[in-house]
Amino acid sequence: MDKEIDHDSSIWTEKYRPKEFSEVFGQNDIIKRVESLTKAMNIPHLLFAGPAGVGKSTLAIVVVKELFKSTWRENYLELNASDERGINVVREKVKNFARTKSLGKVPFKVIFLDEADALTPEAQQALRRTMENYSSGCRFILSCNYSSKIIDPIQSRCAIFRFKLLEKKDIEKVLQKIAKNENLTMHPDVLEVIYEGSEGDCRRSINILQSTAAISPSINPELVSTMLANTKPKDIKVVLDYALAGDFENSREKLLDLMLKESISGQEVVKAIQKEIWNLQIEPEIKVKLTEKTGEIEFRITEGSDPFIQLQSLLASFVLAGLGKK
Amino acid sequence: MTTWAEKYRPIYFEDIRGQEEAVAKIKDFIKNFPLKKRAIILYGHTGTGKTALAHAAAKETNSEIFELNASNLRNKEKLKETLKPAIEQQALLKKGKIILIDEVDWVMGEDRGGIQELSELIEISEYPMVLTANDAWTKKLAPLRKKCEIVELKDLDYKIIKDVLIKILRKEKKFIDNKILTEISVKTKGDLRAAINDCQTISKLSSEDQIKTLFDERNKEEDILDALKKIFKLKATNETLRTFDQIDMKTDEIILWIEKNIPLEYQDKKLAKAYELLSETDLFNGRIYKQQYWRFLVYENIFLSYGMASLNKENKTNFTKYKKPTRVLKIWMNNQKTIQKKSISEKYAKHSHISIKKAMKEFPIIKQLINSNPKIPEELDLNEDEMAYLKG
Repeated sequence: MDKEIDHDSSIWTEKYRPKEFSEVFGQNDIIKRVESLTKAMNIPHLLFAGPAGVGKSTLAIVVVKELFKSTWRENYLELNASDERGINVVREKVKNFARTKSLGKVPFKVIFLDEADALTPEAQQALRRTMENYSSGCRFILSCNYSSKIIDPIQSRCAIFRFKLLEKKDIEKVLQKIAKNENLTMHPDVLEVIYEGSEGDCRRSINILQSTAAISPSINPELVSTMLANTKPKDIKVVLDYALAGDFENSREKLLDLMLKESISGQEVVKAIQKEIWNLQIEPEIKVKLTEKTGEIEFRITEGSDPFIQLQSLLASFVLAGLGKK
Repeated sequence: MTTWAEKYRPIYFEDIRGQEEAVAKIKDFIKNFPLKKRAIILYGHTGTGKTALAHAAAKETNSEIFELNASNLRNKEKLKETLKPAIEQQALLKKGKIILIDEVDWVMGEDRGGIQELSELIEISEYPMVLTANDAWTKKLAPLRKKCEIVELKDLDYKIIKDVLIKILRKEKKFIDNKILTEISVKTKGDLRAAINDCQTISKLSSEDQIKTLFDERNKEEDILDALKKIFKLKATNETLRTFDQIDMKTDEIILWIEKNIPLEYQDKKLAKAYELLSETDLFNGRIYKQQYWRFLVYENIFLSYGMASLNKENKTNFTKYKKPTRVLKIWMNNQKTIQKKSISEKYAKHSHISIKKAMKEFPIIKQLINSNPKIPEELDLNEDEMAYLKG
């Protein structure tokens, strides 16, 4: 049996998640440097920056497995900053975890704080103190999308590694390996469609592959496209098109539908609208006006107003803008 | 006469409905006391069972209960005086003791020293302390959070509420029409105590009167429709300002009615203006809640009545069939589904090392993935409700 495959899992992202440095595709320079740090059995605090699905979490787990071998679970804590409610919870968990001594030869434990850029600057200040207080018995691996969102004092305490978006050929290697193992046949153009649909996110690519393979083991581009079309959230554009055409009632019905069925928050909708303005066929002057209004509405929503009322007010402005167009 | 809410107060853990997780956590807390934490904060909306849970914990462990609440705790000194002896003293007859501090977020309103003092007392308490609050995450309670286990009590599902009401009615040998029961259960939004109280009040009515209460609802509807006619059809006069005075309806609900019906009356520029007014009103509404400054209501009222009417350059005589607001119901129904979606996302996120937020965002594909292989739900340990949601 292939030792590098986790036969316990039916989810391919987990089944084929790399367990050793040699199995990680792409990011070759980073892998080499991190590997040599790890093999020396002493790592500094690490900061992994880069887009989603390029191997940040995977590498963190490889590091702890290499460090602690069979006792890695006892010496490793994974937290996700964007889910933990406030820094206090993080500190609480960090403290409880760091307080006890590490098991085994390595004199420290490892905490992986994913999406650390989700923490506010104040929370990051608090985190920095926590990192200092427990530095003797605890190493932090932080991950983020943009290192610029991490405050300088934390950056200066970490070795920073910038992950690149995975190239098509890296994703291809991963998918080919899985296809071979799962007895799938893949049309050569499939890769292109999957890569497009996943925006270079490896985890998403694998999920797309597995969802498609459930339909048929012989995978062609059409099959992938059909699968993806089923999962695509309804577009904010439809909402705006109705408004611009003067059909306010349909516009807001679609909006409510979108917000409820896809559970999209008011803030996310405003964000999407703000971006969509640039794709609309309207005068530059009106684009600016709408952006002003959008900004005001976003502000009101963040202040705790009722998002649906505020968004209706925004849609009414789009109705007005549509009039100017005619 | 005791109220039903008192009479049917839960006594043991098994009587507490819909809070399995919280029950497990408080059991665990008391079993481990004082190894982990010396206090636990139970938080959740009114009527979800926080106080009942504390009392049940006392009953189950055969402990006496020492209870303090908003009325007997005002400041630091008072706290020292009453609470300190209680946490030191040996309980009579060597029984255990549970210290209950009810509504801790209200107790310490003005007095910041109070929270500090309480926080110090927690450290030396020889008995488990149970604090209840509506929201554990306010700034005020920050000093306590570190020292407490924090447990959320969820809003009760309407089905659970209805079930409790039916059982009580059966014991009381009373009858309420099924439709009315459903309405009570949904309307009280997870507050079981309020639901039981409503139920008791209505049960006293004859069955004709029960139907009449339904009519009362309808009368209310006529009133608001009348008011809408005034603000949407007639020119603004000072009289317009009093439009909503005679109506027995909360501003929040009035806003929903207006929100729903603006597009039936106004188009284009007027539509935008009307929603701008509504948006301003909503802004003031938020400020009232945040600052508890109720004078802002004046502005809300002006915008909603005179403001809306000011868009009419002359009196209109056409008839418009106004619609009932539906979005609250839609949201409520949808929330029931979102709960499943969230719990599935949580399980997947943990398993695949991503955030719950991201899993929620990618849910469509995750749903496909989970449905693709019957072993996956098993691997993620999904329950029946979650499975049903995925299939639906």
